[in-house]
Amino acid sequence: MAEVSEITGGETNLAAWLLGIQTIKIQPYHLPPLGPHDVKVRIKALGICGSDVHHFKTMRCANFIVKKPMVLGHECAGIIEEVGSQVKSLQVGDRVALEPGVSCQRCSLCRDGRYNLCREMKFSGSPPNNGSLANKVVHPANLCFKLPDNVSLEEGAMCEPLSVGIHACRRAEIGPDTNVLIIGAGPIGLVTLLAARAFGAPRIVIVDVDDCRLSMAKELGADEIVQVSTNIKDVGEEVVKIQNAMGSRIDVSFDCVGFNKTMSTALSATGVGGKVCLIGLARTELTVPLTSAAVREIDVVGIFRYRNTWPLCIELLSTGKIDVKPLITHRFQFSQKDIEDAFQTSAGGGNAIKVMFNL
Amino acid sequence: MGKGGNSHEEEEENMAAWLVGLNTLKIQPFKLPPLGPHDVRVRMKAVGICGSDVHYLKTLRCADFVVKEPMVIGHECAGIIEEVGSEVKNLVPGDRVALEPGISCWRCDLCKDGRYNLCPEMKFFATPPVHGSLAHQVVHPADLCFKLPDNVSLEEGAMCEPLSVGVHACRRAKVGPETNVLVMGAGPIGLVTMLAARAFGAPRIVIVDVDDNRLSVAKNLGADGIIKVSTNIQDVPEEVERICKEMEARVDVCFDCAGFNKTMTTALSATRAGGKVCLVGMGHNEMTVPLTPAAAREVDVIGIFRYRNTWPLCIEFIRSGKIDVKPLITHRFGFSQKEVEEAFETSAGGGSAIKYNSKDEEVDLI
Repeated sequence: MAEVSEITGGETNLAAWLLGIQTIKIQPYHLPPLGPHDVKVRIKALGICGSDVHHFKTMRCANFIVKKPMVLGHECAGIIEEVGSQVKSLQVGDRVALEPGVSCQRCSLCRDGRYNLCREMKFSGSPPNNGSLANKVVHPANLCFKLPDNVSLEEGAMCEPLSVGIHACRRAEIGPDTNVLIIGAGPIGLVTLLAARAFGAPRIVIVDVDDCRLSMAKELGADEIVQVSTNIKDVGEEVVKIQNAMGSRIDVSFDCVGFNKTMSTALSATGVGGKVCLIGLARTELTVPLTSAAVREIDVVGIFRYRNTWPLCIELLSTGKIDVKPLITHRFQFSQKDIEDAFQTSAGGGNAIKVMFNL
Repeated sequence: MGKGGNSHEEEEENMAAWLVGLNTLKIQPFKLPPLGPHDVRVRMKAVGICGSDVHYLKTLRCADFVVKEPMVIGHECAGIIEEVGSEVKNLVPGDRVALEPGISCWRCDLCKDGRYNLCPEMKFFATPPVHGSLAHQVVHPADLCFKLPDNVSLEEGAMCEPLSVGVHACRRAKVGPETNVLVMGAGPIGLVTMLAARAFGAPRIVIVDVDDNRLSVAKNLGADGIIKVSTNIQDVPEEVERICKEMEARVDVCFDCAGFNKTMTTALSATRAGGKVCLVGMGHNEMTVPLTPAAAREVDVIGIFRYRNTWPLCIEFIRSGKIDVKPLITHRFGFSQKEVEEAFETSAGGGSAIKYNSKDEEVDLI
């Protein structure tokens, strides 16, 4: 809810600030001035990501440390309220999905199109950059993508996690010839499942330790589901089960978790000459049978966020090739209590896949 | 019957170096299979020793391949055609050829896709149970024998095999005029990889090793930078810094030609975001490495197994002088019981020994 300032009559922009471990407070958020190529967006839908939860629980995520209060959130969509003087492609009232990361567009990686790897990347909700769980944000216009009428704002917010799956499927070259194994049926495993299907993968097997998540995967179109354990000794036996479930060569495996066990399973189960795509960034060091995979010419493909994925995501949603709506399992409003409940729900995992704020 | 053949009244008994037990090689008769219509019979003239040959000698196994019965050793070879099968059109007796060791099935999906090096039915010289080529003569498919130009010696022909590993790795890693290359390990494989990378146009190549002598050889072979590193994994961060300084630019592609935790960790840390690490060396099976931070910088790990379709390019590189493999041949031995044993001991010793060619001596039988 926006508070109306008594003095100026203008609305005070509020945001959800991470102040300390497990401490979020809705407080005023003073926006930067609108640049000529910026737009001001009223945020209407925002999803919680595992990295947001990680920041919430530990005040850090890998090498990113939260050193001062930071606005959380980065998976979002909203309505344009104001456009900068040079903005031609968008106007007030347009419904847009936001791509969070502002890269420098000057370094060799950016100029090569691999801007997701830019070392100067300013990513919403990744310290020290403020995120977008707020009434309004200011964002570059070229990172705001107009939504067709038949794509909701919630689906617009889902473009962000879906982008990870899309980028992974591109890097792994998924197509009508590639049988796919997905390890992990959490939000990332599920968007990867949806993306792989949209890219034409003929057969998709998905594995997880959790029954409920596997049921959802089956409903979302997985050809086979296999329940696995957390015990690394079970890898040999599970690889056989997985290969039987696939029935033919596994061409590409996506490890959407990133543990020794999941990566070992992926490297062992994938067919000769195939690819293993490491998406899940759970650990730093991994102990895996890398050499026996290398002598079978299995390549390990790395994934970091995404690049140039919004237009494709929106197209796939608009044509119905992908339906992300079932992934939104919980909804909350933008209030102090709801925010706290939302993060606890997301952190709890289990049958909570995507927790979505409606502002 | 094939064309050409032995002009002697009595058939010469074919001899070969057999691996008969742990650390035990014996020169013994080796009866050749009959010559098929698409085969040729080759008199071996030059055979190099590979690390895998030494491994079989010392342990009777290499990864999952186990020597269960006596096996002829050796696979890096070149020789002269003695006889050709009835359907062979492109080779004649007297031709000097380099041999590609591995006979794939040509029927499976991998073969049909051109990735025949990964064929599950591969029959490879000196990988059990298939006999190798350290012998007077072998019988081999004609299409795996590549004619050598006049200016390419038989020893250089034998070097095409290890060189092929480097060439295949450079292809998979897409080495070219824009890729600065780091090579971990200056043994035979590191060196052929370096030579191949240069031939593919790599602008700057830095090579690292623990051994000073190997690093000098590398410098003489044209490395832009050499760095001595330790075997202590704690030294990785400092070594990565030194490597990047020596490269004077970012590392685009790194070849790990050793294959240990330390070398892979160095490789993954030193390579730039979006670059590639090619795992060529087969050190340990399970490795503990910072795979996740590398994946989070989209550093891909490329696997390498032997080679495919590399002989024509290797021969062309050598013919044109783009690659000179001769300095890699550090020791030469003849084909006798004593010399074969010495040759393997020298090769196993590593250090300053790079490649050992067992030159077959022709023995006249009366």
